[in-house]
Amino acid sequence: MLPIVLVALIKVGLVIGGLMTAAAYLVLGERWIAAWIQDRKGPNRVGIPLTKIRLFGLGQPLADGVKFLFKAEYTPAHVDKGLYFFAPMTIFITAIAVFAVIPFGSFLPSDIFPASWGVHEPINLVIAPGVDVGMIFVFAMGSIAVYGVVLGGWASNSKYSFLGGLRSSAQLIGYELPLGLGILGVVLSSGSLRLDAIMEHQAQTGAWNAFVQPLGMIVFCVASFAEASRLPFDLPEAEQELIGGYHTEYFGIKLMMYLVGEYLHMVAAAFLIVMLFFGGWHFWGLTGSGNIVTWGEAILRIVVLNVKVLGMVFFFMVARWSWARFRYDQLMSLAWLVMLPMGMVNLAYVAIWEEYGGDWARSAGFSPQIAMTLCGWAVFSVTWYVATKMSPSQGDNRPRRQSRESNIRPGFEAEK
Amino acid sequence: METVNAVPVFLLFGCVAGLAVALFAIAALFNPRQYVGPVQKMPYESGMDPIHDTRRRFDVRFHLIAIAFLVFDVEVLFLYPWAVAAKRPDVTAVAPVGQVLSLSNSTQTGSLRNDGNSTPVGSLRNDYDISAAVQDSLASDRHIVFGGAMVFIVLLALGFVYDWRKGVFQWR
Repeated sequence: MLPIVLVALIKVGLVIGGLMTAAAYLVLGERWIAAWIQDRKGPNRVGIPLTKIRLFGLGQPLADGVKFLFKAEYTPAHVDKGLYFFAPMTIFITAIAVFAVIPFGSFLPSDIFPASWGVHEPINLVIAPGVDVGMIFVFAMGSIAVYGVVLGGWASNSKYSFLGGLRSSAQLIGYELPLGLGILGVVLSSGSLRLDAIMEHQAQTGAWNAFVQPLGMIVFCVASFAEASRLPFDLPEAEQELIGGYHTEYFGIKLMMYLVGEYLHMVAAAFLIVMLFFGGWHFWGLTGSGNIVTWGEAILRIVVLNVKVLGMVFFFMVARWSWARFRYDQLMSLAWLVMLPMGMVNLAYVAIWEEYGGDWARSAGFSPQIAMTLCGWAVFSVTWYVATKMSPSQGDNRPRRQSRESNIRPGFEAEK
Repeated sequence: METVNAVPVFLLFGCVAGLAVALFAIAALFNPRQYVGPVQKMPYESGMDPIHDTRRRFDVRFHLIAIAFLVFDVEVLFLYPWAVAAKRPDVTAVAPVGQVLSLSNSTQTGSLRNDGNSTPVGSLRNDYDISAAVQDSLASDRHIVFGGAMVFIVLLALGFVYDWRKGVFQWR
């Protein structure tokens, strides 16, 4: 019992410390990337205080954190006090609690402890090893995070906050469905909800899910962008329309909790995308499979995983400066009318393939992985083509016509 | 290691909640105690005085979306147990020998080549026991289960099309 709790505590410390540092320095990284894309100089001044050493601006996150701590703390007169404090805590706690089931590596050899402790199994580098509900836990935490947004918007009792909270709750629950459908394909093909088992499955077949299920990957990526409220889905806090959205009335340490929570959503989304669709710690020829690892391989797997995650975070950041924000009806119709059917098509395709496709490919003499990849891309292309044909043309910026009632001249609705 | 699954989760919850409370406490400690006037305590509405309370009636579309979400999310949730259990044991299965053998009575042996890695892989074992138990009962009538799942998905799609035609997802 003692080694288990000790191991768990060490992992908890590593994860919380790592995530806090990562959130702080990813903000700095994002500002650098923004500066690089916009061809200007990013934050490069803050270094060691009271000297002239600038250190490329590496002191910036510390200065920001200290500034948040020293802000005036008061409670606005109009808010719902309990909920006002509860909301940022909800989002902060759930954003980190997600990482209870997200591995940050593969395994460590068991000889890290003295033999007398009786730890013989390799150390699984996830806080809670063997939680079979894995992905469901992630979804549960993601759904509770919606409460943080809604309660924050409601408790603030300000119109901007309220509208932001309303918008973002509709957005977050809308994109939760495609998120779940995108994962179901992966769960079907690997037969487990646990992220380490899913990565192990990809390492054994050598075919990452991104290649065999491109449709599922697209659906999941788009949905997780929306769940993390990143551009082009940052409607909840569209600065130009809603000031700050649901955290308009927040400041100081409570605002910092909101911002850190949102940032960690992005990090968690990057982890999930990499693990579910890009093989996690697996890379061809570099890492093997299984849990019996040497120290070199254990470290190599951690490095591979984190390089992939950083690459995905970089993609998130570049995407922020590459696309304009969606209009709200476009956002909602993308979730319900494009991503949801696409997710269902992917689910049906993977189910049929898992049931009959493997046998068919083997009897026809193909490698099942290659055959599934080809079929997956065929399904992807057809679905994409149909979705393009059903969408309004590019020049038509009016809301999509969905039923006969709305199939009337634009501008007519205003008179009703 | 697998008997105390939930303990680390609660440890993490406890530590993070403690961190959140500690952050509040530190902020309260460093709080510059200054006069906060009534204007500063007003809701921010771009400099206007707020006209009325925020808690008023709002658009019913959000309610429709919420109901549609509830229906579809619960239906998708029903698919998870099936998705976990429907995995066929094939070349890639992480399976102990015994279970592969017991399954091979009822399914085609052609798809059951074991890749030689037949030892139970550490902490993945627990997971497999459950799905293997379910699969033992599934194996005899897989086609019925598959057909049932397909009917479920088709019903989901029909409900979706009905909602679409009714204009639930319409956002004018």
